[in-house]
Amino acid sequence: MKVLEVLALEVVKPGMKIAAAVVDEGGRVLVPVGAEVTEAMLAGLARRDIASIKVEHEVEEDPAARAAHRAVITSRLDRLFRQAGDALATRTLYQAVLAHRMEHPL
Amino acid sequence: MTMLNRDQVTARLKQLPSLPSAVSDLLASFSNEEVDVEQIARQIARDQGLTARVLRVANSSFYGLQSKVGTINEAVVVLGFRAVRSMVMAVSMNGAFRVDQCQGFDAAGYLRHGVGVGLAARALAPLAGQNAELAFTGGLLHDIGQLVLASNFSVQYAAALDYRKKHDCPLLLAEREILGVDHAEVGGLLAEAWRFPDSLQQAVAHHHAAASAQANSLANVVHIADAFAHAMGLANASDELMMPVDPVAWERLGLDEEKCRKAIADIEHCFEETCQTLKS
Repeated sequence: MKVLEVLALEVVKPGMKIAAAVVDEGGRVLVPVGAEVTEAMLAGLARRDIASIKVEHEVEEDPAARAAHRAVITSRLDRLFRQAGDALATRTLYQAVLAHRMEHPL
Repeated sequence: MTMLNRDQVTARLKQLPSLPSAVSDLLASFSNEEVDVEQIARQIARDQGLTARVLRVANSSFYGLQSKVGTINEAVVVLGFRAVRSMVMAVSMNGAFRVDQCQGFDAAGYLRHGVGVGLAARALAPLAGQNAELAFTGGLLHDIGQLVLASNFSVQYAAALDYRKKHDCPLLLAEREILGVDHAEVGGLLAEAWRFPDSLQQAVAHHHAAASAQANSLANVVHIADAFAHAMGLANASDELMMPVDPVAWERLGLDEEKCRKAIADIEHCFEETCQTLKS
């Protein structure tokens, strides 16, 4: 299963894909979305004191972990939607965000 | 606490500093087809801070350009005048207010939510036959009434924010309860005073009452975009709250779960980078 997550630079491996542009304090893009991680890139980011980056990578599916992940997302969504009612539009949006977050964790 | 009224707000709006001339000319260009693009580009280029911020956005993944643009003129040629106009409005308006005196006002959350609504409006605009660049500007500026209140009536607005926190109610209700006016109404007054184009005035003034707007109004897009940004929790605030979605506006955009998921992916794709580039 492919997941997107923010990882500490030390555990990012070459071959993973950049999932959110890495920018410096001035907003300049250091690495664009979609770039493949390389050893040289990791060394360059470490020199700039970048501690973590968002990457896409493959992980083995674990049903228990998936259920736990879903519980975390629904808890957050239930809090955001606590006064949103139960109309069709609300339910559709809730489901769409839930499905997206299952594949693309924050 | 004494409530505000429209006259007080309007009087304060008249005392606001005028916008940079390049921005005023851009606003006027919405109603003037024979606009001198080169002259406006020269005016923008004279404002170095504005130019730097516009070029930062132009060169970010927001537009996904293959090669970088280095001047306002290049940006106009590559992205088109309408895109540059939207960008200039977006980066200049929100910076016109100082909100640091208003206790409890989350400026970072305000920017993040505005960017989220802007990107959502841009993603949803084609469903309503709206111009995507104008929709982005409308989304980014939709809550500008909050900036007016936080910067000009900071004590009263801090009380409204406190009320909202204590009662966990929509901000709009807290504003009406404590101030007697809400940010949509105040934003509409500002949009009128600064002569925003009609479509943006409507989007700002009616984003919480889309059903009463016209079927083809940008207010429908911004209302739904507002819901997307809250549903995704983009403000990153612990008390963020999504309000019920207006079924009329939803119906007007013809949304279903598949379209929602595509829009969500589009919004998230360049959200963090756009927030960074629009930070002043």
